[in-house]
Order: sequence, then structure tokens, then C-alpha cells
Amino acid sequence: MDNNFLVIENISKSFGDNKVLENINLNISKSEFFGLLGSSGSGKTTLLRILGGFEKPDTGRVILDGTDITNLEPFKRPLNYMFQSYALFPHLNVFNNLAFGIKENFTQKEIEINVRNIAKLLSIEHLLNRRIKQLSGGEQQRVALGRCLIKKPKLLLLDEPLAALDKKLRSKTQLELTTLQKKLKITFVFVTHDQEEAMSLSDRMAIMKNGLILECSSPEEIYENPKSLYTANFIGIANIIEIYKKDENFYSDDLGINFKLNKELKNTKTNILLRPEKIKIQSINNLNTSSFNSFSGEILEKSYLGSFTRYEIKIKNMIISVLDQNFNSNSNYNFPKGEKVICSWESESIKVLED
Amino acid sequence: MKNKLFEKYFVFSPYFWLVLFFFIPLAIIFKISISVSEWGMPPYQDIFLFDNGFKINTTFENYVYIFSDYYYIGSFVNSLILALISTFFCLLIGFPLAFYIATSNIRLRNILLVLVVIPFWSSFLLRVYAWKIILQNNGILNVILLNLGITSEPLQLLYNQYAVIMGIVYTYLPLMILPLYGYLNKFDLNLIEASKDLGLNRIKTFFKVILPLSVPGIVAGSLLVFIPVVGEFIIPEMLGGSDRLYYGKILWEEFFVNRNWPGASALAFSGIIILVLPIVIFQILYSRWSQKNEI
Repeated sequence: MDNNFLVIENISKSFGDNKVLENINLNISKSEFFGLLGSSGSGKTTLLRILGGFEKPDTGRVILDGTDITNLEPFKRPLNYMFQSYALFPHLNVFNNLAFGIKENFTQKEIEINVRNIAKLLSIEHLLNRRIKQLSGGEQQRVALGRCLIKKPKLLLLDEPLAALDKKLRSKTQLELTTLQKKLKITFVFVTHDQEEAMSLSDRMAIMKNGLILECSSPEEIYENPKSLYTANFIGIANIIEIYKKDENFYSDDLGINFKLNKELKNTKTNILLRPEKIKIQSINNLNTSSFNSFSGEILEKSYLGSFTRYEIKIKNMIISVLDQNFNSNSNYNFPKGEKVICSWESESIKVLED
Repeated sequence: MKNKLFEKYFVFSPYFWLVLFFFIPLAIIFKISISVSEWGMPPYQDIFLFDNGFKINTTFENYVYIFSDYYYIGSFVNSLILALISTFFCLLIGFPLAFYIATSNIRLRNILLVLVVIPFWSSFLLRVYAWKIILQNNGILNVILLNLGITSEPLQLLYNQYAVIMGIVYTYLPLMILPLYGYLNKFDLNLIEASKDLGLNRIKTFFKVILPLSVPGIVAGSLLVFIPVVGEFIIPEMLGGSDRLYYGKILWEEFFVNRNWPGASALAFSGIIILVLPIVIFQILYSRWSQKNEI
């Protein structure tokens, strides 16, 4: 795969004294669905706006498909930008919103054909004569998407594409968006603050914080093997435990137990990550316990989530989250609040966070 | 119950005001305009006579007189042209300014808004008089032009229609800027970026997005300038010359110099009808159009 379809090179940007982006480097492949994930103020939207041409970077270059587009005006870039607010034109109906970007270079007949095709693709054919105010949020999102896609862009930039939709519609639209992207093979770069959205949409994603890219990888890799404490906490639920070397093994003061790692450590003291679903929860009567990688604790909180039950288990100075899959429908299977249980995990499940 | 009644009076009191000080005087003007003129005080006859039984004494002579003399119609046309030109220049200067104010950051915006409003803090008459001083033959502008060697003798800048247009544009500009700002303030700047993103350059974006969405502000500002300028009296009187006669001045002369009250009333009444009718029709059509277009 061409890894250099979109190259972001040494991009920095400040607003006054406020450094928004610092030396950003990214390579994005053709037809990739790429996510920029970060909390507000991380600089993700500024980066997207630089790609769209609405902001000029202080330093660095943006190269799209071999062409340097850093100094091109937005209207000369072979890409499109979908705004979080959708920015549909209120004085035009759906048809004219869709046709807005192709009116210049196409004949009336071609416009008609193109609009019908894109409307069919997005199942909004019945809305063509509607005014924008008569559309629901989901319909507006489709029109905004169609208005960009009709231009057949090399790259589509999406600013929080699903943020304005309600929860149920969001998961449905997530699926549609990925299907559409795979079908059209257009490179998508999107920005989101929602880690679930980033995980489910992205082929690869970059975690941004304070104008820096902390990590850039596939969602699986970032979830399973985060490189930093920030990422580990930011994505999913994380139990972070501080351990230090004691004799042959590692010991945690907070839990008061020994850890056995399957690899050597550079430092004598470090943080480890233990994802809640990697922890096995057993009744105290189960005698299959070892002195390593397990502890007994008391269930402090319990929330039944349908497919999973989430337990908060207190042990010594810490509360550990555990996700337990509900294999059978026997309600006795769930442990009640206040019960003493044994938690254990494999050595492979322990991820060392060496900052 | 008592509160409800109070609310009603409170809300509708401006309408009582309007009836008292607009519709009743208007009716009186209409009454005078259909009276027969005579020498005396007041210089017209009653419209109801009771000498030899009841008799209605009205005439449309005054209207015939006004519409048969181009002197009157011409002055009205001059005023309309003046109002059109002034509105156009107010829009030309006011639109970019209002747009800039509406899109600048809050601190700068407040400063600029205050600057727009500041002229209102001094007397209107004084400000027009100041222009007279600036533009006169030995005024500051002519002195500068002479000293720079651009002209060899003072230019006649005052007492012509151009001085009038300049004075009106200067005076009425805030009335254009403020309503325009009110609408442009709500403008979603993403729409401009979206238009550029979809391939339209600045000029096309202006005509396809910014202008159509600014129509309500343009209409409000233009009406606010156009209507009072048609009847404007002071500025043409102070800055204007005899090259062009305007409606306001003719009306004044007919009333106070010629003491032709019925004729002046007919002129005033016709002016209001000619001005108000098209605007009312326009407003109805426009509100239908904007409802259809959801602007």
C-alpha cells in the first residue's frame, strides 16, 4: 500500500503565545480511514483545518498524492471538509446543496444525474426538494456527506462526524460510514473526542494531547499495548498499578501482592496496565490460587451491563475494575455486593508502561 | 386580572401614540388637502358649510395643480433619485464594514460598534454644519488641496447635489450598519468555509452565499435609510444649492413661503401614498419570499 498518499511533515502552529501543534508528522495511506483522537484543546481540529486549508501552518508541509498543497487556497484543494455543524446552506434546498460544488463545471443534465446518483447512494432521494430546516439531524448529516462526496475528493476530512447525532443513530451511522468508505475507497481523515467512535471507525488512529501525537497505530494495538500512561487511561477502562522490583519478583504496595512478569524490565519501578476484561473473577471457595498474579478482595460496586457485569473490587488501598462476561443466563452466576472473591490473570496480560 | 389589563395597556400604548400623533395629523392633512384655498387665516375654507343648509365644500383642484406642474413631480423624482443613490452608497460602504465588525473578535467588535454610534452623541445639525465648514471655499479641504498644489484655485465643493449626497451618506451610514450588523452577527462563518471548500472563490462565495443570506439585513438597512432621505429637508437646505430642488424643500416653501396650505398638504399626502404603497406591497411580497426561503 502507498504509505505516502497524505504526508504531514513537521507541522507546527501557534495562535499568539499558545502553541497548538508542535512538529506533527503523519503518513496516511490511500483509502485509509484515519482517526485523530484527543480531548478538547489537543489540537486535533486545528490539524484538520490545516489539511482543509482554513488555517496556514507556521512551519511544515502537507503533501497530498505527491503535490504540495500547504499554500493552496481551500477552493483549489482536491479534498473536501465536512463540518461538525454540517454548514448546509439554509437558503438552498437539498438538491441545490448537493449540487453546490459541481454547478460550475457541469451541464444541467450532468448535475441532475450526479445529484440523483449521490442521493441514491445515501438514500436521500425523497428529500431532494426539502429545505434544510425540514431535515432531521441524521438527514442533514447525509446531505453534508453527499455535498462533499459528489465532488469525488481524493481526501475527505470529517470534523466530529457523528457528534451531533443521538446515541442510537450514531452506532447505525458508524456502520454506514465505514461501509461507504470501503466501497468508495476514498481516504477519510476524521477528528473525534469519543474513543469508542475512534476505535470503531478507524483503520489507524493517532492519539493527540497538547499539540503532540502520543501514539499512532491500529485501535487494537493502542488498546492492547499502549505506550504511555495517558493513552492507557484515555482508551477504555484501565487499572494502573505501580510496581517495583523486590527480590526475584515485582511487588505492589497498593495491592500488597506479588507480580510475575514474562519479560525483563529496564527500570526497577514502573506502572503496569491491567485491562478489566483480562482479569478472571472466581469464588473464594475455588482453591486454584497461586501466590502470584492474583488477589482476594471484596466486591464494592457492581453494575450489570447485559453482556458484561462490571465489578469494582476493593483490595488494600486500591479499587480494581473487572469486566466479567456473562456466559450463562443463570443469575446466581453473578457475585453479590460485599462478597469476597479471588481475581487472577495471566502474565501475558500485564502491559508494562515504560514512559 | 388587573395585571392582564395593565399588560394590555402597556403593550398597546405605542399604538395609541401612533394613532394620536400620526394617523390623526395625517387625517387633518388629508382634510386640508381637499379644502378650497383662500386668503385668510387659516388659508383654506371649511369643508362643511352650513350657511344655506348643509353643503360639503371639497375639491381635488390641489391634487390636479400638483400633478400638472412638473416643478412638484420633478422635485419628488429628484428626492427619490437622491434616496436611491444615498442608499446605494450607504450599502456599499456599510456592508463591508458591518461584515468586518460582525466577524471580528468580541473586544474589537465592541470598540468598532461604539465608533459607529459615537456620531449620535453630538447634534445632527452640528455635524452637518461641520461639513459646511470643511467643504467651503476657504475650508480645510480646499486649503489642503491648494497647499498640495493639486488645484490652483478653490474648488466649489459646497452647495451642489454631490455635497448633499455626501452629507446624507455620512449622516445615515450608522442606520445602515446597525441592522446589517444585527443580521451578519448571526451568520455562520462555517458557511463561507464550506463554500470555499466546495470550490468557490471569494467573489463567487460572496454572491452565492454571503449576499443571499444577508438579504434581510440589506432590506432592513436600506428601508431605514431610503424612507427618511426622501423627505430629508435639513441636509439639502444646508449643503445643497439651486442645481437641484428636493421634495422636502418644496414642501417647506409651499407651506411657509407661498402659504398654500391645501397645496402643501396635497403634496405631503401624495408623497406619503407614493412612498408607502410600494413599500407595503414590497414588504408583503418579501415576507412571503423569505418565508418560502426560510431566511
